[in-house]
Amino acid sequence: MRQTQTAVLERGAVLDAELATEPFEAAWASEARWFVEFLEPAPEGSVVLRTQISADGLTWVDHESPAIQCSASGIVTTSVHDFGHWLRLVALIDGATAAPLVRVYLALKE
Amino acid sequence: MATTTTEVGRDLRSAILSSDPQLSKFNPLPRILAHDDFNTGLHGWVELGGNYDGRGDFHSLDRHFRDFRPPQLSTCDFFDVGTHGAMSGTYALKLATRPYPGHTATAIRRLTMSGRGLLQIEAYIAYKAEATVGDEADNAFGDMEWDGNRHPSEAQFGAFTVATDLCGDGGLRYHTVARYQNADEDGNMLRRWRYPIVPEPTPREHFEGKVDYPYATDFTAPNPDDWRDFGDEQELCMNEVPTKVNWHYLRWVIDTEKRQNVELQLNDRIMDWSSVPVPPYEERYGSLENLLNFYFSVRTLSGQRNFLYLDSVVISADW
Repeated sequence: MRQTQTAVLERGAVLDAELATEPFEAAWASEARWFVEFLEPAPEGSVVLRTQISADGLTWVDHESPAIQCSASGIVTTSVHDFGHWLRLVALIDGATAAPLVRVYLALKE
Repeated sequence: MATTTTEVGRDLRSAILSSDPQLSKFNPLPRILAHDDFNTGLHGWVELGGNYDGRGDFHSLDRHFRDFRPPQLSTCDFFDVGTHGAMSGTYALKLATRPYPGHTATAIRRLTMSGRGLLQIEAYIAYKAEATVGDEADNAFGDMEWDGNRHPSEAQFGAFTVATDLCGDGGLRYHTVARYQNADEDGNMLRRWRYPIVPEPTPREHFEGKVDYPYATDFTAPNPDDWRDFGDEQELCMNEVPTKVNWHYLRWVIDTEKRQNVELQLNDRIMDWSSVPVPPYEERYGSLENLLNFYFSVRTLSGQRNFLYLDSVVISADW
């Protein structure tokens, strides 16, 4: 049976500018998938989601996977493979008149 | 001299435990309820989640209960040495705070009681403040200034706590709590064991309008005046810099028959905790009969991320 973990990295974050999730160690995992759920949407807002990786949890660099652009509504998901041992998600919003409330899951699998 | 069957049984058990590399470093009571080696997953240790309403509304969560952070399976990776690894194998369970003064991270394990009597938790633990790198980082904090031996990160670590949430016998609910307060918010080194003299505020008390605490409140006992020191200062092995991990043995015994603390051990210091009070809630709680929860928490006061690592945990009982 493969190990898995679903981590709720943000439970109700106000996305009013740029949000970077807290550093999360994932050395044991070979698969990762982000779920970003807009609990209180702002559909006119444009959001860019980018995975960043780190070797030490201190300094971060963009992963080579493409950034995702979406509106600030519903649920958005993207996967990442072949990452270093630390993961975080950076979300950037533009054009919203109100800041959406977001939940961010990181689903990891061995 | 005649050897009794009881003595043979005790000696046999002792020999089996001593020859088991995983268990010989523990001293469990007769029944092992859980042996959690984090090389094989999370073993049910999960973020302490707050209570929410029937709609799952985020805003129904207590503000100081919303953000206790998911525990991580950590390889203890650091900028200077790479993978440090755990005491047993590669992985430890890591609780990590946000870089926010007063923020707490938790991991809780949820069981129920099938008896009453002695209950013990043992763990091999390590604690760290997050390393700082770069010219902007301070070379001193509070009592600690870099001198080749002392390092500011030691003063940037606030506290770690081990505690229970217990309920039974008609909804009588209580907590036992042991906290190691390493330093205060200004980095003054304290190195003291502490316990609260009040029960932890609950979501029901918030729902009833009795309490309402802001984000990053000390959820275990919000008022600093409700904490008492126990015994003398105890210096632990932080080991000079924030990227060397030395594992400490923790053992804590309580009595669920008497609803009392019994004994607390951290490495070579064994403390008689039988005089430490265990205040119950005045009101009874439903839905919690035979509740048996243990949690660990870590709280930063400096605002630097604080980490508590658990290599492995054993929970045992004499019932």
